[in-house]
Amino acid sequence: MTNTLKIDALVVGGGIAGMQASLDLADQGYQVALVEKNPSVGGMMAGLSKVFPTLDCCSCITTPKMSAVAHHANISLMTYSEVQSVMGNEGDYQVRVMKKPRYVIEDECSGCRSCEMVCPLDLPDYDNEYGRGAHRVIYVPFSTAVPQKALIDIDNCIYCGKCLKACTTNAIDFAQQPEYVNIETTSIVLATGYKTTPYDAKKEYGGGRLRNVVHGMMVERLLAPTGAYGRQLRPSDGRQPDNIAYVQCAGSRDLTLGVDYCSRVCCMYAIKQAMLLAGALPMADITIYYMDIRAFGKGYEQFYENAKAMGIQFVKGKVARITEDENQNPILRVELIDQNSRVVERKHDLAVLSVGMLPGFDPNSMYGVPVDKDGFIKAPNPNISPTLTMREGIFATGTATGPMDIVDSIITAGAVAAEAAAYIQSHNGHRQLVAEQTERSVTHA
Amino acid sequence: MSNRADPNLLKELKKYGEAEIESCFNCGNCTAICPLATDETPFPRNNIRMVQLGLRDRLMSSLDPWLCYYCGDCSATCPRKAEPGEAQMTMRRWLTAQYDWTGLARKFYTSPVWEIGSILFVSLFMVWMFVLFAGPMETDHVALNTFAPVQRIHYGDWALAAFLSFFLLSNVFRMYWLTLRKDAKAKIPFLLYVTEAWTLVRHFATQKKFEKCDENQKGFFQKKRWRNHWFLVSGYVLMFAMVVGFLPWFQTDNIYPIYHPQRWLGYYATIVLLYGGFDILWGRIKQEHQSHRFSHLSDWIFPILLLLTTISGIMVHTFRYLDLPLATYYTYAAHLVILTPMLVLEVPFGKWSHLAYRPLAVYFQAIKEKAKQRQEVAVGAVAAVAATD
Repeated sequence: MTNTLKIDALVVGGGIAGMQASLDLADQGYQVALVEKNPSVGGMMAGLSKVFPTLDCCSCITTPKMSAVAHHANISLMTYSEVQSVMGNEGDYQVRVMKKPRYVIEDECSGCRSCEMVCPLDLPDYDNEYGRGAHRVIYVPFSTAVPQKALIDIDNCIYCGKCLKACTTNAIDFAQQPEYVNIETTSIVLATGYKTTPYDAKKEYGGGRLRNVVHGMMVERLLAPTGAYGRQLRPSDGRQPDNIAYVQCAGSRDLTLGVDYCSRVCCMYAIKQAMLLAGALPMADITIYYMDIRAFGKGYEQFYENAKAMGIQFVKGKVARITEDENQNPILRVELIDQNSRVVERKHDLAVLSVGMLPGFDPNSMYGVPVDKDGFIKAPNPNISPTLTMREGIFATGTATGPMDIVDSIITAGAVAAEAAAYIQSHNGHRQLVAEQTERSVTHA
Repeated sequence: MSNRADPNLLKELKKYGEAEIESCFNCGNCTAICPLATDETPFPRNNIRMVQLGLRDRLMSSLDPWLCYYCGDCSATCPRKAEPGEAQMTMRRWLTAQYDWTGLARKFYTSPVWEIGSILFVSLFMVWMFVLFAGPMETDHVALNTFAPVQRIHYGDWALAAFLSFFLLSNVFRMYWLTLRKDAKAKIPFLLYVTEAWTLVRHFATQKKFEKCDENQKGFFQKKRWRNHWFLVSGYVLMFAMVVGFLPWFQTDNIYPIYHPQRWLGYYATIVLLYGGFDILWGRIKQEHQSHRFSHLSDWIFPILLLLTTISGIMVHTFRYLDLPLATYYTYAAHLVILTPMLVLEVPFGKWSHLAYRPLAVYFQAIKEKAKQRQEVAVGAVAAVAATD
């Protein structure tokens, strides 16, 4: 079954940048399709605990936007879908999108989770909890997922049929096939985001090998109210950590990993997590080992100063190696640059690697959009028009263009919406749009 | 000691090697990963910092580069690929040039023309010596001591040893002056030089610092770099002693039975030198170990001369055994023509000077630390007395 959709802008990626860009375009009256590969929109931000420097609850900011893109009249939301091919020329792209089978009919499912209650199998949740939580084989991705629709991990399903019986709306369809949608669009906005540096990439740090060496995203899930545990614990024995170390630049500014750039967010998220941990564990000692603290944004320096005032220790020096003792306590080896260059080995309960950002996707082969040496999308004029790509009619926003925080992602989302709108206008003609808008406002009135 | 900054220091250092010292952003990874760095000698970052800041006098009086044995962990994990291990190697070459008052070391390290030209010069000088002083060539049987009378060669040996010792020892004195006297943070009592002398002997004999470079391996035979280096040194010292000290005993025309120490000591030294030379050369060609990734001309000259010397020595021995008089005489001449520049140039002015500087650095460092400890104890005692008053 193939549908055809004629729109002004296709937004690829349903993270915060993609959602904001979609909303900003749709609010101006443009027809937008938002394609997200995961079963829910929200992206990386939906999994975070709180945002720096305001310490606002992350879910509280993201969820309304997730709902908004799902319910906006001018946005066609396609979750669990992937772009298959991009044809056509500047301003007239034909895009083929595959909707992956959920094995649950999306229009029928009410999100009541009755199926989840009866499903007999638990699987580690790698997508949302980094393997530290679990979900059923049939599951709604997470509590605030949009859309609230179940899907089946078909590879692990034993076809016991319990969900089939439990489903109140007969939504389960084990024979579901992929659906294809052909989209004709004037412009494309790439908001394909980032992935974190694999925490086992730097062998000296023992990530993945030493149990009490975790990465920043895992701690986000421990701190988030929607996380799997709702309390702070360390992986090896579930004990509450009393002495936590943050290892900065554990994946950025390191040529041995091929990453020469600064990921920009790690200093701030480490400081934020340290503050939140200090709140959750008032007796815990928290040390941040850093090369330089880069608190670059509005209110960030004050945030850093607040953390110091709270008693969080900042130690200058790059951690060279992490080993562990017989109780699996991580031992960090570091040169104390500000303390006579002494080399020390310090024991902690838990070591958190502040992993950096890598590009999430290379769009060159499918979209003909080249990337920079660092792998992020190349902009012809990065200073004056950061959201343009090397190809006309294709724009980029958020962390697809380079490492940035949530604030900057939202700013570039607004910027890309403006760029794309101008392009769509110049391409489709101003008059036609005005006519459509008038018509629409008449029908709304 | 002055803290005056010399903006040309980095440029000068770069002539001695390929380290990317200017890339370093001083994160301290190298020092923290180094198995040999201590609180008193937190290298390599401190040395790199000195170069970046242009602290020529501080670097000149630093013993740290000699305490580094180039395991390469720092270079392998350096986030800036600044090659701190190679930086230490570069500084060792530079320090060798600083200790050498003749200026020849600087010329050899910075100019291939000087390095190769000098070797050729000494070689030609040796050829000339043979032309002047060689005895008659008996062709019916091998009579090496007629062609090259052992006593005459032995005088040459002594001249060579005197030359070499004079320059090496005067450079050693410069090292002592720069590192212990000019950099006197604590007053050094004379007795310490005596009580710590054992450190010098032990480190010359065992090169034990090398051991820490292979932290993951246990045992002498598993620690490959230390083991190979130790055998090479043992062969070298043995051969040097036999050739320079006991030549009349070593260079004979009658062939002793195999169990005679002259035979098996010679064979042991030869095998070890051959293996050691090949090991170094092969390592540098394959560039497998971090310490072999960058090869300065001086790093090539060293194993090549060593191998050529060893091989020509083996040939002399073989031809004599096969009773081929002319071949024996010519290879013997070639042997000396290669060997002499190696000893005369490389030991006092070149890479081989490290045989003196490395154990001395360990010795000097031990003295420095002991002196500092004593001073601290003394200061503490004075403070305690003052407090009770």
